[in-house]
Amino acid sequence: MADPELKSKVQELIAANPVLLFMKGTPEAPRCGFSMRVVQVLDQVDVEYGAIDVLPALQPLREVTAEISDWQTFPQLYVNGELLGGADIVEEMFESGELAEALGVEQPEVASVPADGPPAQSPPLQIE
Amino acid sequence: MPVDLAELQTMIEAALPGAAVEVFDEDGGGQHLKAVVNAPQFEGLSRIDQHRLVKAAVKPRFDDGTIHALSVKTSPL
Repeated sequence: MADPELKSKVQELIAANPVLLFMKGTPEAPRCGFSMRVVQVLDQVDVEYGAIDVLPALQPLREVTAEISDWQTFPQLYVNGELLGGADIVEEMFESGELAEALGVEQPEVASVPADGPPAQSPPLQIE
Repeated sequence: MPVDLAELQTMIEAALPGAAVEVFDEDGGGQHLKAVVNAPQFEGLSRIDQHRLVKAAVKPRFDDGTIHALSVKTSPL
């Protein structure tokens, strides 16, 4: 069972931040390829978002999000209090324009997920 | 334990009768698995709920450590 104190803290954060990303690492220094992909998408839609690094408390946070959203893997993007998805869903919704719609912003002119060009950061790290 | 792609496919098909399911091992090493699932049950569901159904179908293989990550692509059939 999840730590009740941590759980209510997480629920408060989700309620207080219209766009909130739980990720491995930080937007400036993602520590996982999946988290990096979501950061890249959010940068392209140019939306203001809160980001929480889950690595310092990975297992407790897994237990919390399992209870709150029935989802245990990170990244997780919450929009207006609801879990939108992880990297796969965020990218898919970005490409289709649904993400911009959900965020209430304009779809950027060139909506493309960066291709497999030379990585700007270290290559994606495998989770566990 | 090696990943059994056919078993994963069968588990998803059993959970979502009538679905068209394909499971790929994108790098051949079992580290980048991808499931493409088109199912009638997805109609009217959000993407996250569609993914939840797929993840739930293969949960035993996450729980026993056979697979660590599964990339999912879904659409209603």
